[in-house]
Amino acid sequence: MGETGKEEYKIQSFDIETQKLLKTALKDPSNVDLDKVANVIVDQSLKDSVFSKEAGRICYTIIQAESKQVGQSIFRRSLLNRLQQEYKDREDLRNRSLQAWICYVTFICNIFDYLKVNNMPMMALVNPVYDCLFRLAQHDSLQKEEEVDCLVLQLHRIGEQLEKMNSQRMDELFSLLRDGFLLQEGLSSLSQLLLLEIIEFRAADWKMTDAAQKYYYSEVTD
Amino acid sequence: RSDGGAAACGDTEHRASDSRADSFTTPEGPGPLSRCLDWATAVEEDEMRTSVNKEIARYRRKLLVNEFSRERKSSSGSSDSKESTVTVELETDEVVLMRRQKQINYGKNTIAYDRYIKEVPRCHRIPGVHPRTPNKFKKYSRRSWDQQIKLWKVALHSWDPPTEEGCDLQEISPVDLGEMETESIGSNSTESQTSCQDNYDTCSGTPTKVRHIDYQAEGEFDLDACLSEPLNDLNTVS
Repeated sequence: MGETGKEEYKIQSFDIETQKLLKTALKDPSNVDLDKVANVIVDQSLKDSVFSKEAGRICYTIIQAESKQVGQSIFRRSLLNRLQQEYKDREDLRNRSLQAWICYVTFICNIFDYLKVNNMPMMALVNPVYDCLFRLAQHDSLQKEEEVDCLVLQLHRIGEQLEKMNSQRMDELFSLLRDGFLLQEGLSSLSQLLLLEIIEFRAADWKMTDAAQKYYYSEVTD
Repeated sequence: RSDGGAAACGDTEHRASDSRADSFTTPEGPGPLSRCLDWATAVEEDEMRTSVNKEIARYRRKLLVNEFSRERKSSSGSSDSKESTVTVELETDEVVLMRRQKQINYGKNTIAYDRYIKEVPRCHRIPGVHPRTPNKFKKYSRRSWDQQIKLWKVALHSWDPPTEEGCDLQEISPVDLGEMETESIGSNSTESQTSCQDNYDTCSGTPTKVRHIDYQAEGEFDLDACLSEPLNDLNTVS
């Protein structure tokens, strides 16, 4: 695969044996235990925030490779089963480890982004993704900068697509965000900034306006 | 929530992974719309649904084109040309189409089918001799359709891979299994008798591959073959 491949799929964090396994899965999926590969990927996504942001890509490639080579979808099935399992226990996950919970949300959103079926997002994931974002918009989560940060990142990446799939839930979500921004005590100023930015972003039809770019993202001159 | 019962399933109760089997759908089962599916199955069903919808759109277009070109050929001077070819009513019920597609997939997901399509490309198929996949877009009664599928799968057995004994019975096109039994009994040498009987057992089940969802290449629906069928072919099965 070479260094570019590694960089592309962000698999440097895996040990050598696992890297080999993944490379084989990409080239010759019928000759690996795809269920194991799926679990390896999900496990790592829950631990490694860098990987969780881009894991969708390697998953997509393995799915395509398996489909082309043997016309099956064993990997996708294992991946989705595992994802669903973690989703069911997400409250426990959050209680055990905030970091793992954040990684999970990042991962499932990334999967939603990359794994299209006939060029459409997977319908089955729409409500679960919303559920995760709604959780992040609850009072206790808004108190935590890392969770607010995760929330706005996901909305930047997949908000527009999500809204197309179900605009009503997006409206409801943003009601929560507005309320949180205005009424919640104990929000850090960074959190407030993040929330304001995403509210403006959606209002501008999920686009970055020049003014917003200048305000939120430009270096301060003095 | 309008879509995906999966979310509802997740929130209401902690399910042991064993109990999930209930939510799988089978080709024989009722429509899956009200059931709570696991994500993987839901995605597979969606995938099948969009493929089936694309196929039916293509089939309709082809029928139109076919109808149009037939009309042109037949309108040799006569102004009130005969009514354009019978407007065939198509099967459009998604539940039915998906059930039929699953049944077809099971048949195509066999080593016999693989060997068949390698040996006999579509252009060389002889109607009545070579098995043809039943046309899921045509209106048939449930019984008629199931019968066509059964006969089609039996016909495909002719392409089962040879067993180790290499019994000659493999070459015979599907016959009444009662007949086969008589033949083996009549045989003289004990050896050939046993081998034929062994084969008899293995003949009853075509080796299958693991579940196979394939919409590319050969998996695609044979439009041309279907269009060249006579319109009134409810009794014809190959």
